[in-house]
Amino acid sequence: MLSQNDVQEAKARGNLAYSLYIYEAPLRLWHWANSIIMLALAISGYLIGSPPPTLTGEAADHYVMGNIRFIHFVASYLFAIGLVARVYWAFAGNIYARQIFLPPVFNKEWWKEVLFELRWYLFLEHTPKKYLGHNPMALLMMFFFFTILAFGMLLTGFGLYAEGADDGWMNALFGWVAPLLGGSQQTHGWHRLGMWIMMSFAVLHVYAAIREEVLSKHSLISTMISGWRMFKE
Amino acid sequence: MSYATQGFTLDNSGRRVVVDPVCRIEGHMRVEVNLDGNNVIRNAVSTGTMWRGLEVILKGRDPRDAWAFTERICGVCTGTHALTSVRAVEDALAIQIPENAHLIRNLMQLTLYVHDHLVHFYHLHALDWVDVVSALKADAQKTSALAQGISAWPLSSPGYFRDVQAKLKKFIDSGQLGPFSNAYWGNPAYKLPPEANLMAVAHYLEALDFQKEIVKIHAIFGGRNPHPNWLVGGVPCAINLEGAGAVGAVNMERLNLVQNVIQQAAVFIEQVYIPDLVAIASFYKDWLYGGGIGSQFLLAYGDIPDRANDHEADNLLLPRGAIINGDLDNILPVDLKDPEQIQEFVAHSWYKYPDETRGLHPFDGITEPDFTLGANTKGSKTRVEAFDEAGKYSWIKAPRWRGHAMEVGCLARMTLAYLQPRRYPMIKETIDDILRKLDLPLSAIFSTLGRTAARGVETLYCVQLQQQMFARLMANLKAGDHNTANITKWEPATWPAEAQGAGFTEAPRGALGHWIKIKDGKIDNYQCVVPTTWNGSPRDPKGQIGAFEASLLNTPLAKADEPLEILRTLHSFDPCLACSTHVMRPDGQEMARVRVR
Amino acid sequence: MSETFYEVLRRQGITRRSFLKFCSLTAASLGLSAAAMPKIAQALETRPRTPVLWLHGLECTCCSESFIRSAHPLTRDVVLSMLSLDYDDTLMAAAGHQAEAIIEMVKEKYRGNYIVAVEGNPPLNEGGMFCIQGGRPFVEKLKETCADAKAVIAWGSCASYGCVQAARPNPTRATPIRKVIADKPIVCVPGCPPIAEVMTGVVTYMLTFDRIPALDRQGRPKMFYGQRIHDKCYRRGHFDAGQFVEAWDDESAKKGFCLYKMGCKGPTTYNACSSMRWNGGVSWPVQSGHGCLGCSEDGFWDKGSFYDRVTGIHQFGIEANADVIGGAIAIGTGAAIAAHAAVTALDSLRRRAGNKDAREGIEA
Repeated sequence: MLSQNDVQEAKARGNLAYSLYIYEAPLRLWHWANSIIMLALAISGYLIGSPPPTLTGEAADHYVMGNIRFIHFVASYLFAIGLVARVYWAFAGNIYARQIFLPPVFNKEWWKEVLFELRWYLFLEHTPKKYLGHNPMALLMMFFFFTILAFGMLLTGFGLYAEGADDGWMNALFGWVAPLLGGSQQTHGWHRLGMWIMMSFAVLHVYAAIREEVLSKHSLISTMISGWRMFKE
Repeated sequence: MSYATQGFTLDNSGRRVVVDPVCRIEGHMRVEVNLDGNNVIRNAVSTGTMWRGLEVILKGRDPRDAWAFTERICGVCTGTHALTSVRAVEDALAIQIPENAHLIRNLMQLTLYVHDHLVHFYHLHALDWVDVVSALKADAQKTSALAQGISAWPLSSPGYFRDVQAKLKKFIDSGQLGPFSNAYWGNPAYKLPPEANLMAVAHYLEALDFQKEIVKIHAIFGGRNPHPNWLVGGVPCAINLEGAGAVGAVNMERLNLVQNVIQQAAVFIEQVYIPDLVAIASFYKDWLYGGGIGSQFLLAYGDIPDRANDHEADNLLLPRGAIINGDLDNILPVDLKDPEQIQEFVAHSWYKYPDETRGLHPFDGITEPDFTLGANTKGSKTRVEAFDEAGKYSWIKAPRWRGHAMEVGCLARMTLAYLQPRRYPMIKETIDDILRKLDLPLSAIFSTLGRTAARGVETLYCVQLQQQMFARLMANLKAGDHNTANITKWEPATWPAEAQGAGFTEAPRGALGHWIKIKDGKIDNYQCVVPTTWNGSPRDPKGQIGAFEASLLNTPLAKADEPLEILRTLHSFDPCLACSTHVMRPDGQEMARVRVR
Repeated sequence: MSETFYEVLRRQGITRRSFLKFCSLTAASLGLSAAAMPKIAQALETRPRTPVLWLHGLECTCCSESFIRSAHPLTRDVVLSMLSLDYDDTLMAAAGHQAEAIIEMVKEKYRGNYIVAVEGNPPLNEGGMFCIQGGRPFVEKLKETCADAKAVIAWGSCASYGCVQAARPNPTRATPIRKVIADKPIVCVPGCPPIAEVMTGVVTYMLTFDRIPALDRQGRPKMFYGQRIHDKCYRRGHFDAGQFVEAWDDESAKKGFCLYKMGCKGPTTYNACSSMRWNGGVSWPVQSGHGCLGCSEDGFWDKGSFYDRVTGIHQFGIEANADVIGGAIAIGTGAAIAAHAAVTALDSLRRRAGNKDAREGIEA
């Protein structure tokens, strides 16, 4: 998780090409599926709050909002199930599968590397460090803007669902959310704000991945496809 | 201690009697009076005992939402604050409303009048004149004869009244008197014979059943009652008479229902309310107390514009004007925006001004709560036995018109209309007719009974106006105009950076004004001066008393410990305390200085 | 007028047979087994009237006004036959100390057997003296009156949540009943005002079955507040189809399309308006062309404009809606990325040039 250790480990375990199997297949599958699901959630969610222009004619001839909501709800269940599966994989998978749930916040050295990465992104460092998993800065961002936020989105989303649900598991698990946030309308507001933050982070994530791929001399995007991390030097 | 003001002599040396709460009103109110040795009221102190602070809550909000907030000032005169609010916003932004919206708004406002006056007469006021228990002694046969002698109302057979009486007997015999518990039955101030009491009790119940029909007009155009919906720029209901989807808008069926309700209400007013009013009044002809300042100082802003978007006095079907010093020949013009005309004082109100000898126009109003009590208050700060009227003693401010305390409400409106017979012929005719039947002079209307009678006359007038407005709405629809909203200035982007305006109505209880300042699309300042602020005002720096206090003076009580006559006179104003006691500084910063004591 | 419920029905020309049928239908509609029917019948036939003390705090009396609009049961039957409305300052004949004496009398005579209905709420600032009754703070009267009650009904949004006087900045510190009365079962019947028949429905349920109706997490009877306005809205078909009113009085408005874009809060409001409707079923806000204000929701005054779909979030001292904040974040992120990418490109160009120079230097 620290650059030095990671490079040593890579050298010790790796072959001459410095390539290592980091992301196992279930994790990669989840990653790409999740990206599609999140995109579907964001677009459908946006349209639920700000619907497309009105349609004329008979109501029976259209089902626009019904379909948008259907997409949103199906995608939200997939998102939730995916997240649960991802949590399972944090236990079942390799150590890189755990990273986004457990940033080593008590490790001082790690924090130093967070700062190093920050300097790297601010062009204050010219030689990037190499990591097998996420770099510390990326991990920290991932933890707050994906892991925590994803659970927040699940809570607010299912909280809205649970309001109308009679005494079932849904109400038992999530019924407390909307009253806590000050009601249904307020919960909608937070849920939507969460969407904006998550989407902004997603864009940032894609940008950073491409940039690192180009500059940091180890593979990133292809790693998430093949699972193998390639170190170029 | 004694002093003279406005032609009255106040003397607080006698026995102090406290009535708190004053029931059968909207909101919370207290009155204290001093009685002389003959149980005649020589001093009266009226206290508004609640404060909600709505204007500070309005600051910074969307002006298009203001109607909903102000509507919640009062749920009894529901809608009138909302209408005043949309008028204030439209005045500030120079928005013209379509003809249909104008007619529908008038219909809604008139509906409020008819409903509110009817409920006031039967459910808030009648028990001051009608002895429920005495009705048990009535002869049903004679009650029937009485009822049939004054009205064609069909529910008038001896059997009907016998039935009502039997149920009443059973109710009273049960020992659980519900809302009639512990009241003043048998007090000598009740003058009706048992037969009239029985008839009135029967109509009390009929009116309770019927009143809910009247407000269906609000439900049709505004979605519900209480608290129907309004819209800046028009009315929210669309009209669709023949196209696809007409069932989702105001259509022929809806209009038929409106017409049906108006007709039913007209019959009830003509055949029940007015005959009851005259019958009851005929037994109280000798009890003409409670005039107060009513014959001297009257104020109305007017309402029910005839042509759309014209709010000048000569276009109002309910009159605007002021009368001072009893000069009935001079109706003075009233301008809500003139800083010299309407001013509020706080010398005896629980608010603070930098200089409390001066009044402030609502555009510049300050309201900083200041709950302090006079030196001679009896009791403690949170357990008051008697207020000291030399100090602060009410949550109501003291508004003055050109320095005068004014009476507002139906008496003011009907007097102003009576004085202009060419413009309001029906009102003069009706009042003259009632006076003739009762064999009373015109001066008799300046009394508790006169106020109550004026309300009845106004109800009759309003139900006729409703029919007229409905006919005009149908004519306009027939001419092909189906518009209900002007949305050219709906978006705040179309507004000027700063604007200010005033809105007015006549609430059933009297003159109501809202003043708004808009800045960058938000409310910068909102002030309301409402009817009961006028009528229920405490004293001003000059010691002038308000209409409530004046009206109680010199009234004898039949029994010192039963405040029946006090209630009777106060109720004749139809007080609305939630309305009157919410006024405060629009500057939210001031609130930080409200200390919790 | 001291009739039992049964007698009221009989008076209205209903036979015993129909009465029993009514009871079984009532049982069925309340989800009870047929075995409950005789119990209902017996309760309606014989129970003496339960005293109700109806208090008013800071409010606008719209709840009382709504209550008297009840069409079934008729208000007169509720007030005079089903319960004993011994105290209600808006309707009662007595005033002053004669009125206040009734509270003491009922407390003594019906200890633990009367219901307190509260309209409005107590302000706590200024020692409670923003609402004075009998020379004392209303909050004291409220606590004393509730002390020996069997149950408390919180009428309307004022008593349930605080409503308009509790809207920001709540100058009087108007406080919901449940924050003042802790040791009594409280039934919240929110709405500004609640529907008349919901009010009488709750009361008659409590009197008939002698128990508190099933309540949700917020203390509201599930039977009337369990579903969203939106889910039972007759314009829902237009919502699902994507057919909206886009501006007041437009063609869509005339056709009765969905008011979602006009800020209707039906999708976030739990109430019975869309199914029970108002004023004897004549109409309800959406049917008359205006969106739902959400008046039965906690703090509905502070949820942004009534005409916005995506409304404000008050937090950290700012007020803006999710799209404004979120849009700013998205634009900010995009701009930052663009700038960052540009600098990255320049930087790497510069360094590549630098490296080249260095390499050339070595070679040279």
